[in-house]
Amino acid sequence: MHTSLDKIVSRIIKLLAAITALLLVFITLFIARESIPAFKQIGVADFVFGSKWYPVAFVGEPSYGIFNMIVATLYVSAIAVAIALVVGVGAAVFLSCQANQRQRNLLYPFIDLLAGIPSVVYGFVGLMVIVKCFENLGRSAGESVLAGGILLSIMILPFMISACSETMLKHREAYEKTSSALGVSKWYMVTELILPASRKSILVSMALAIGRAMGETMAVMMVIGNSTKFPTLLGKAQTIPALIALEMGMVEVNSLHYHALYAAGLVLMLLLFAINAIIMSVKQKVLE
Amino acid sequence: MKWRQRAVRIWAYTSLLLIVAIIVFMFAYIFAIGSKSISWQFLTDVPRGGIIGSAGGILPAIVGSLYFTLVACALGAVLGIATAIYLVFYCKSRRVAALMQTAIQGVAGVPSIVLGLFGYTLLVLRMGLGKSILAGGIAQGIMILPFIEVRAEKVMREFPSDLINASYALGVSKLHTIGKIVLPGCKGGLVSGIILGGCYAVGATAPLIFTGAVINSPVPTTMLEPAMALPYHLFMLLTQGTSTENAYGTAFVLMAIVLVSNGLAIFYANRRSKLWK
Repeated sequence: MHTSLDKIVSRIIKLLAAITALLLVFITLFIARESIPAFKQIGVADFVFGSKWYPVAFVGEPSYGIFNMIVATLYVSAIAVAIALVVGVGAAVFLSCQANQRQRNLLYPFIDLLAGIPSVVYGFVGLMVIVKCFENLGRSAGESVLAGGILLSIMILPFMISACSETMLKHREAYEKTSSALGVSKWYMVTELILPASRKSILVSMALAIGRAMGETMAVMMVIGNSTKFPTLLGKAQTIPALIALEMGMVEVNSLHYHALYAAGLVLMLLLFAINAIIMSVKQKVLE
Repeated sequence: MKWRQRAVRIWAYTSLLLIVAIIVFMFAYIFAIGSKSISWQFLTDVPRGGIIGSAGGILPAIVGSLYFTLVACALGAVLGIATAIYLVFYCKSRRVAALMQTAIQGVAGVPSIVLGLFGYTLLVLRMGLGKSILAGGIAQGIMILPFIEVRAEKVMREFPSDLINASYALGVSKLHTIGKIVLPGCKGGLVSGIILGGCYAVGATAPLIFTGAVINSPVPTTMLEPAMALPYHLFMLLTQGTSTENAYGTAFVLMAIVLVSNGLAIFYANRRSKLWK
C-alpha cells in the first residue's frame, strides 16, 4: 500500500545521509583549493616555517610566515590539555567511583553546563578575572599564553570528563565484585586497577580535548593579546583561528592575503589530523 | 602504599570541588553583575548612543540570534536525524557505517572558524547569498549537525528492539515503523538533542563573523539580510571598549539562555525514558 511512498522517503533519507557523509570531504577540498595560490606564491616551507607575518607591508615586501602562530596554537593547547588532564581525570574518578547514581544524575548535567557556555562569555570572564588577576600580580599586561591556556582548560573539561568517566564506570562495574570479595578497599581498586585500565580512554579524551582547544577562536583571541611575535609563557601571542578571525574581514577577496588565511586554516586542519593520528597510534601501543 | 590511595582520593575530591566552584562562580559572577544592567528597556530597545551600543538595548541581537539558531537547528536536525535513521535502520554494511561515523566525527573536528571561512567564500561570495541570516545559519548548522546526529543515533539505538520487531512481525513497513513507532518514542531525546545543539549555536560567534553577523542593524525581516547576534554584540562591546555595563547585560542574557535550554533539554530527555517504562 505504502510501497511507492516508502521508496521515495527512503531515497530522501539516503540522499540526506550521503550529503552528511560527503560534507567533510567537500569542506576539506574547498579549503585546500582556496589555499593553493598561497602555497604556490609563498612556498610551503616559507609559509609554514617563516616567522614573519607582515601581510600589509608599508616598507619592502609583504611576508607571510605562520610559524609563530602554529607554535602559539600548540603551546596554548598543550597548557590547556595538561591542566584539564589533571582536573578532568580526578573529577572522572570521583564521578565514576565515589558518587552514587543519584549524585551522578545531578553532577553530569551540571558539568555539561560548561560545554554550553558561549566562548565569548568565557573570553569575557577570562578578561575580567584571569587577565585582571595577572595584572594585579604586577604584570603590565595580563594578556598571555598562560591566561589563554588556563581559560581553555576550563572550556575543554566537560569533553575530557565525559569521555573518561564513562569507561571508568564500566571498569568499576567489572572489578567491584571481585575486589570486595577479596577484601580490597575501594581506593586500592581505584588506584591499582581502574586508573591503569583507563589509560586508553584517557588518551581518547585527550584527542577530543586537544581538537577542541586548537580550534577555539573567540575566548583565546580575547585573552591572549594577539601579537604575532614568537610565543612565551607570559607574553602575548596569536593563534591560527584568531589570526583568521581578525584579518579575514579586512582582506580583498582573491588577494594573496586572502589565500594565505585559507592556507592557515588548512594548516590548522592538517595539524589536528596529525595530532589525532599520533594519539591513535599511541593508543594502539598502549593496548598491546 | 597507603599514601598513594590517599593521594588519589584527595585528588578526586579536590578536582570535583574545583569544577563545581568554577561553574558556580561563572554563573554567579555574570548574574550578579549583569542583573544591574537588565531592564525591560534593555531587552526591548534597539542599540543607541554616540558609539552604537553604549546606550539603548539589544532587541535586534536577541531576534537575530534567534533567527540564526532556527536556521541552524532546521538544517542540523534534518541532516542529523536523517543520517541517524539511515545508520540505524537502513545501512547494512558495517564498513559503510564506520566510514560515515568517521566522516561525521571529522565534521565535528573542523574548527568553527574554518566553517566560517567555508561559509564566507562558498555561500556569501560564490552562491551570492551575501552576508545574511541564511548563510550564517547554514555555517552554524554544519557545526551542530554532528552534535545532533550523535545524540539522535544514540537515542534510536537505545530504543527497545522488541517494539520494532513486533511492528515488523505485524507486517508493518519499515517507513511506517520508523514514522509511527520509533520517532514518536524517541521524540523527547531528539528534541533534547536539538535544543542542546541550538544552545551551542546561540553561543557560537566564529562561524558568523564573516557570514552574517554585523555590528548594527535593525530587527531583521527576511532571511537574506545580515543581522546582529548576541555573542558578536558582546564581543564588539568589549573589544571596542563601548560599554562594560551593557556587556554584562548581554552576557546575562546569554547565560540565561544556556540555563533555560539545558533545563528544557533535561526535561525532554527524562520524558522519553518515562514513556518506555
